[in-house]
Amino acid sequence: MNELKPLGVYIHIPFCRSKCQYCDFYSIGGSRDRRLVDNYLQALAVHFKEAGARATDYIVDTVYFGGGTPSFFGADSLRRIFAELQHRFRVDKDAEITFEANPDSVTDSLLKKLRAEGFNRMSLGVQSDRDDVLQKLGRPHNYEQARDAVQAARKCGFDNVSLDLMYGLPNQTVPQWTETLQHVLQLKPEHLSCYGLKVEEGTPLWEYKDAANLPSDEAQAEMYLNTVAILEDAGYRQYEISNFARPGFASRHNLKYWMGEEYIGFGPAAASDFAGKRYTYVRDIERYVRGVLKQDVPILAECDSIPARERAGEYVMLRLRTTKGISPEEYEKNYLMPFEPLLETILPLEQRDLFYQKDGRWILTPKGFLVSNQIIGLLQEAQERSEPLAKKR
Amino acid sequence: MTELSKIRNFSIVAHIDHGKSTLADRLLEETKTVDKREMEEQILDNMDLERERGITIKARAVKLNYRADDGQDYVLNLIDTPGHVDFNYEVSRSLTACEGAVLVVDASQGIEAQTLANTYLAIDAGLEVLPVVNKIDLPAARPEEVKKEIEDVIGLPAMDAPEISAKNGINIHSVLEMIVRDVPAPKGDREAPLQALIFDSQYDSYRGVVVYMRVMNGTVRPGMDVKMMASGAVYKVVECGYLHPKGMVPADALGAGEVGYLTASIKTISDTRVGDTVTGAENPAAEPLPGYKTCQPMVYSGVYPADGSKYGDLRDALEKLKLNDASMYYTQENSIALGFGFRCGFLGLLHMEIIMERLEREFNLDLITTAPNVVYEIDKTDGSHIAVYTPINYPDPMEISQAYEPFVKASIITPPDYVGNIMDLCQFRRGEFKDMTYLDQSRVELHYEIPLNEIIYDFFDALKSRTRGYGSLDYELIGYRPSKLVKLDILLNGELVDALSFILFADEAYARARRICEKLKDNIPRQMFEIPIQAAIGGKIIARETIKALRKDVLAKCYGGDITRKKKLLEKQKEGKKRMRTFGTVSVPSEAFMAVLKMDE
Repeated sequence: MNELKPLGVYIHIPFCRSKCQYCDFYSIGGSRDRRLVDNYLQALAVHFKEAGARATDYIVDTVYFGGGTPSFFGADSLRRIFAELQHRFRVDKDAEITFEANPDSVTDSLLKKLRAEGFNRMSLGVQSDRDDVLQKLGRPHNYEQARDAVQAARKCGFDNVSLDLMYGLPNQTVPQWTETLQHVLQLKPEHLSCYGLKVEEGTPLWEYKDAANLPSDEAQAEMYLNTVAILEDAGYRQYEISNFARPGFASRHNLKYWMGEEYIGFGPAAASDFAGKRYTYVRDIERYVRGVLKQDVPILAECDSIPARERAGEYVMLRLRTTKGISPEEYEKNYLMPFEPLLETILPLEQRDLFYQKDGRWILTPKGFLVSNQIIGLLQEAQERSEPLAKKR
Repeated sequence: MTELSKIRNFSIVAHIDHGKSTLADRLLEETKTVDKREMEEQILDNMDLERERGITIKARAVKLNYRADDGQDYVLNLIDTPGHVDFNYEVSRSLTACEGAVLVVDASQGIEAQTLANTYLAIDAGLEVLPVVNKIDLPAARPEEVKKEIEDVIGLPAMDAPEISAKNGINIHSVLEMIVRDVPAPKGDREAPLQALIFDSQYDSYRGVVVYMRVMNGTVRPGMDVKMMASGAVYKVVECGYLHPKGMVPADALGAGEVGYLTASIKTISDTRVGDTVTGAENPAAEPLPGYKTCQPMVYSGVYPADGSKYGDLRDALEKLKLNDASMYYTQENSIALGFGFRCGFLGLLHMEIIMERLEREFNLDLITTAPNVVYEIDKTDGSHIAVYTPINYPDPMEISQAYEPFVKASIITPPDYVGNIMDLCQFRRGEFKDMTYLDQSRVELHYEIPLNEIIYDFFDALKSRTRGYGSLDYELIGYRPSKLVKLDILLNGELVDALSFILFADEAYARARRICEKLKDNIPRQMFEIPIQAAIGGKIIARETIKALRKDVLAKCYGGDITRKKKLLEKQKEGKKRMRTFGTVSVPSEAFMAVLKMDE
């Protein structure tokens, strides 16, 4: 028998208590319609069966319940989905099983049930330590609830807890953000994700962004650089632009996105990179359910086969998000393209303290991460100018 | 062929916006050349650009059939002309093909600078000039005063001039009768050797060059071999005929006095020069017709493809456009910063803008245009005298003994209330006051001698805004005068970008240099590092700005679903960069080259 290939599974839970002001993920805010929930569970089961049949030579080593708000969706439904998944896919006994949670829907009962089922990582949306800010953002909880949720998770046996925070919030100052970080560090999470707020078109925040008193780019840059320094001091290693972890606690699932490994997504708006194709399902739960169950409407919103040359571009774009960076040997071996043109672009950036080299790999500095869109653009231009190695010979 | 005595060749001249194109529309309607239901507004202005801007750029010709009150059928050939000062050259070309000109004057505005300029062009060309007073249905109309103005200022009898409203179709019939009565019939011998004046031409991808011409003598027929007298090229005529607003109508022959077109599978664009004479290859005329005086471009600008590899496309486009617009001039130019391109000469800034837009639209090109300049002359210390068409060739200050810049005589007509404003403006633009005449109580004509350089950029706009739109301008070149000039260089990140250099009057250098640095700062996007912008004369820096480094351009979240989105974002970023040129490590958007121009807002 061939060796099994690792696979990540993402399951989208598009249900929330309420929609936050800044959020542009696909989810339905408000009550959970019983009929819709049942149909969705049924659709996922059918979809698992179908996809599982095409993934017999894979072993699932990470599962991620994202949202939406899986904790709001409820332990029983999550357990049913996970049981169905295990039924249709080979899931590794040491797999990382993450669920996203919001403080207002984390209860002892939920935590116990999930832990018993094998869930071993909780990613909690904290965002801020200030209740007035949380309220303005439309978060349905306060900071005390966030603290309680972390305590409860510890009590129920979760030893891998991640907290999500946001900087660049309305009215936020650089010292305030530092204070937020210090407060949150007292909760001793294993993992932290710190995201710069991005105002997305179509969200309520977009409508009043000019009146929202958002910090300047300069201030946000300072907040970011402070984050890296403060967390480093506190024993958290940066492993991606916005992600920090104690040694051994980097998110194995999320790393797959940046390392170019395979993952398969289920649910509306879920994305996959599986069997050479990158595809996304429709952002509409009714349509997803109907498409899976009745098969009379397509559920694919987008699907691309990614040619090798484009994979080389993705390698640069995604790997440079991580502190593993890019390696000339890896690049030339996997994509048969010369690294030389990239190096010519990198060297002057190294002079400007945007890149550094470690163990033969090229890695962006925190300053480099801050302008990574520009840098990736330059490197991709250099790639476009270069001929594949085979042609050169 | 129509009998000579039944042909009238005329054009319509007017100040811009006095209703020339609208009158042309009404004439087409009144003679049923175009059905009312097919009538589009300003049908002769069929270039998209003309419609959008509401101005006539190209001269057009059209044949009208008219049964006059005397019961006879006449052929009226209307050759439409542009009104803006930039296009004087087009006007004089059209006039050569006519015997008469209808002068349209707005009943409320009266005589304006272009009314005078175009009338003099028509009189110089030996045309019968027939005034018409338009827009008589406007509340502010004062037809009697305007007629008197025409008599007093121009010296044309105007008491019997038709009072019309082209817009509302009032009295159009009287204009047609006036044309039949007062425009002289063309002369010419249809048996003589062929002499036809090319007044325009156009490239058609199916037929080759289409030549628009006025036959002066002889007759041209399909199948006949014709020779272009200047180039000597010989072609067999494939088709000839008349010009209808909706297209070309083939005919058996075109004889002396008639206006029409011919095609002859002409592929070599340069063989058919506007102003050349077409004659028979077998029985050629002894002499060509007097051509046009070659027109002198007033401003020159560097034109480069935004994408350097499109140089060949740009060359082809310029060649085709030149055929259609003889007043444009171009020659190859190399810039260290921009690579291969062309130095192009234009009649004025409007002309330049229009050519650029036509190149971009009709030939699908992305262009970078450098700041326009006039032609300077230099006495060098080695005793030689040179003309400088581009800042790139401006000599080192050490080699210059005296620099000269072109001056124009500007004629400005304005209501007396604004004389003070105009004097301020002209003084600020280094103008020298010559004289001032009251044309009547409501109209003053001022004469100034002003450096051309001061006129070409935004003088006309400034004049309009200082006279609430009432001021009008005409100008003509009067020669070169000694001047204090300097070349201003721009350095980006310490490197000289030759395509941004330009020549200006020394006393203005400091102020302009500061403004240009500010403009560039606004137009160049922040990049990963700080970029100093410096303006220098010789080696001396006289102004400086800094584009701060970009602090933040990052996608905070990039998980499964974001990857495709991020790739699209990078694609978009790449597209944006295609509109930029990179100098050393600095990317400059093509708009920045023109932005340095727009000083007055």
